[in-house]
Amino acid sequence: MAVNDSTTRSRIKGYALLALAIIVTAVVLATGNETPRKYPHRKIVRFWHRWQGDWEKQVQKIVDAFNQSQTEYEVVAVSVPSGGSDAKFILGVIGGDPPDLMSMFSGAVPNLAANGFLAPLDSLMTPDEKARFFKDSYPSIRDIGTYKGKCYGVTIGADLMALYVNVKQLRDAGLDPDKFPKTLEELEDWGLKLNQYDKKGNLTRLGFLLNDIGYVSHYFGGGFDVKDDGRLLLNTPQNQRALETIVNYRKKLGFENVLRFQAGLNDIEGAASWAFMHGDLSITYDGQWRVEELRKFKPDLEYRVYPIPAPKEGGTPLGGLVGGNYMIVPVSAKQKKGAWEFLKFWTGLDNPDRAATFYNMGGWLPYSPAVANSPTFQKWLKKDHQFQAFLDILASPNCKAPPPIANLQFLNDLITRAEDEATRGDVTPKEALQELEDKFKEERNKRRELGYDE
Amino acid sequence: MASPSKHTAKQYLTGYLFISPWLIGFLAFTAWPFLQSIYLSFTRYNIVSPAKWVGIANYRMLLTQDALFYKSAWVTIKFAIVSVPLAVIAGITLALLLNINVKGITVFRTIFYLPSIVPTVATSVLFIWILNPNIGLINKSLALFGIRGPSWLNTSPWAFYSLILMSLWGVGGSMIIYLAGLKDIPVHLYEAATIDGANPVKKMWHITLPMMTPVIFFNLVMSIIGSFQYFTQAYVITPNGGPEQSTYFYSLYLYNRAWKYLDMGYASAMAWMLFMVIFFMTLLVFKTQKKWVHYGG
Repeated sequence: MAVNDSTTRSRIKGYALLALAIIVTAVVLATGNETPRKYPHRKIVRFWHRWQGDWEKQVQKIVDAFNQSQTEYEVVAVSVPSGGSDAKFILGVIGGDPPDLMSMFSGAVPNLAANGFLAPLDSLMTPDEKARFFKDSYPSIRDIGTYKGKCYGVTIGADLMALYVNVKQLRDAGLDPDKFPKTLEELEDWGLKLNQYDKKGNLTRLGFLLNDIGYVSHYFGGGFDVKDDGRLLLNTPQNQRALETIVNYRKKLGFENVLRFQAGLNDIEGAASWAFMHGDLSITYDGQWRVEELRKFKPDLEYRVYPIPAPKEGGTPLGGLVGGNYMIVPVSAKQKKGAWEFLKFWTGLDNPDRAATFYNMGGWLPYSPAVANSPTFQKWLKKDHQFQAFLDILASPNCKAPPPIANLQFLNDLITRAEDEATRGDVTPKEALQELEDKFKEERNKRRELGYDE
Repeated sequence: MASPSKHTAKQYLTGYLFISPWLIGFLAFTAWPFLQSIYLSFTRYNIVSPAKWVGIANYRMLLTQDALFYKSAWVTIKFAIVSVPLAVIAGITLALLLNINVKGITVFRTIFYLPSIVPTVATSVLFIWILNPNIGLINKSLALFGIRGPSWLNTSPWAFYSLILMSLWGVGGSMIIYLAGLKDIPVHLYEAATIDGANPVKKMWHITLPMMTPVIFFNLVMSIIGSFQYFTQAYVITPNGGPEQSTYFYSLYLYNRAWKYLDMGYASAMAWMLFMVIFFMTLLVFKTQKKWVHYGG
C-alpha cells in the first residue's frame, strides 16, 4: 500500500513538473511573438518615433494612410520614450536589429552620421528626387540634416519659436495688441508691465521671459557656429550682447523668483496643461505645434503669434534656429527602400498637396515652400492663421541650422552651461562665453589628437 | 562501485551543470565585456567602426585636460562622504527601532522596507514632485512653520543635498540586513550584562554595536560601491548635471561620453578609473576590518 502511495506521489510530481515546463515554455514563446501585422504578406518597414499622447495618434493615422496607399510595404510604428532614444537607436544598430526608419532629435544627427550609423538618404533618392529635394527645401531645414555634403536626415517635424501673446491680458494692462513692440527693448518693457506678484513678492504671472541663448542670439545677428574651415563663432560680440540682455532682464525679474515660478508650472508638451493656456504666461515664446494645441484644447482663447522683435540696434529680424524631429535610416536597415517610400509619402516630395494634410495634423512645419503653398496647406492656414508667423521665420535668410559638426551635442551642452552660469551670476556673460570657447577648443584638440576628422 | 574521487567529480559536474546558465551568462555578458573594456580604454572606438589603438591618450587626456572629469569625480566623492555614513546611521537606527517588540511591529517593518523595492525611476519622479518649491510636500510642510523652503532641485547646493535626502529613501534594504544582524546577537550576552549592572547605553556600546560590526562592514562596502556608481536618480532628476553642475556625477559624465558623444574608448578609460578607485576603497575598508569587525558571535 505504502509502495502504491509513493508511486502515485512520484507520478503526480512528474505530471506537475511537466505541466510547469509546458507553462514556462508557452510563456517564453508567447513573449517572442512578432508584432501583429495587418498586411502580413507585405514587406515590413519598422518605424520608431518619439511622439506620444495625441501626437502618437496622428502619426498612426499617417502610417495607416501610407499602408492603404500601396501594396508593397507595411509600416509598423513603435513609439519609444524620448529620453535615451539615441542610446536605444545605437543599441538597435549594434545589436543587428535596428528600425528601418527613426525620427530622431536633430542634435544627434551629425554625430550619428559622422560615426557611420546612418545611411545617406541621397543614395535612396532618384536623381530627380535628389535635385528636387536640394532645390525645394527651406535652406535651414535642408542644412540641419546635411553632413559633409550628404543628406542624412529629412524632417517631417521641424520646430521654430515665436511669441504667443494673450490679447486679453494685454488689454487689461492697458497695452494695445495691435501695436505690438517693434523692438526687443519695447517687448521687455511690456513684459515687466504684465508681471503680477502676490503680497510676498512672488511672481504669480510672468509677463515675458528672455532665455535660450542658442536661439535668441540669432536676433542679435549672432548664433553659435563652427565654419567649414574651422573658424569658431562662439564668443562673438553679438552672442555676448545677447547673453548680457538675457542676464540683465533676469536680474530685473529676480533669478530665484523666476525659478520658483517656473517650477510651479505644470507644463507638459502635447497636453492641455500649457501655462499660456491658463493665463500664467502673458507673452511667451514657444514652438509652432502650440497653434494646433490651442485650437484643440483652448479654442476660445484670444491670442496672437508674432516673431520675436529684434533689438533696436544691430538686430536681425525674423531670426531663428531650426531644430526638431529628423527622419534617419540606419546603415544596417533591412528595408531602406521601403523606409524611403514612406518618408517620401510623409514629406510630400512626390505630392506636396497630399502631404500638407499630414503636416497640419501635428502642427508641423513643412519641409518646402511647395508644401506650404499647396492648396490644402493654404486652406488650413486660413483657419490657423497664427501659424503664418512661423512660415515667415522659416523663409527668412536669418533662420539658420545648427552647425553640422560631429560634436554638436557637446557644443549644445556647453551653450546651456554658459547660460546657466551667467544667469546665476557665477560669471559675467563675457567670461561664460570665453569659457565656452576655450572648452570647445580643448575638446576639438582632444578629438584631433585621437584621430577624429573634426 | 564508483571510486570516491569519481563520485566527487560527478557531484561537481552536476553542480556546475545546474549553475551553467548563470555561468554562461556571466562569462558572456559580464566577464567578457569587462575584459574587453580594458583594451577599448586604449582605443578610439565608436561601436560601429573597428577600434583604433591610441595608447594611453585617453588616460592622459582624462588626467591632464579634462576639468569635468575632476569636477564630476569630486561631486561623486562628496556624495560618498556624506551619504555612506548617513545610510549606515539611518539603517542601524531604524533597525534598532524596529527591533522593539511593540504591537504591529511587522506592519512598521513592511512600511519602512517598501520604499526600497519601488523602482528607482518611479521614486525619482515622485521626488521631483515632493521637492517642488511651490507645491512640494517638503516646502508645504516647512511653510507651516513659517520657513520658506529652497528651490531644491534648481539651486546649488540644494540639488546635491536633495539627492542625498533621496538616497535615504531606500535605506530599508540595508535596514533589513541590520535587523537580521540584531536578531542574531545571543540573548545571553545581554543577560550577563544585566547581571553585571550594565545600563542600556553600555549594552548598546559594548554588545550591540560590536556584534553588529560584520553586518555594518558588509553594508559599508556595498554602500561605498553603490555611491561611487550613483547614476539613475541623477540622470532622471538632473540629466544635464543640475544647477552649476552640482549633481554632475561621475557615472552621468561617463554615460554622456559613451552614449551622447559616442566616445566609447574615452568612456571605457573613465570606467576603469572608477573601477580602480572603488577597488582601492574596498581594499582599504577590508584592510581596516581587523581593527573593528568582530566575528565573535
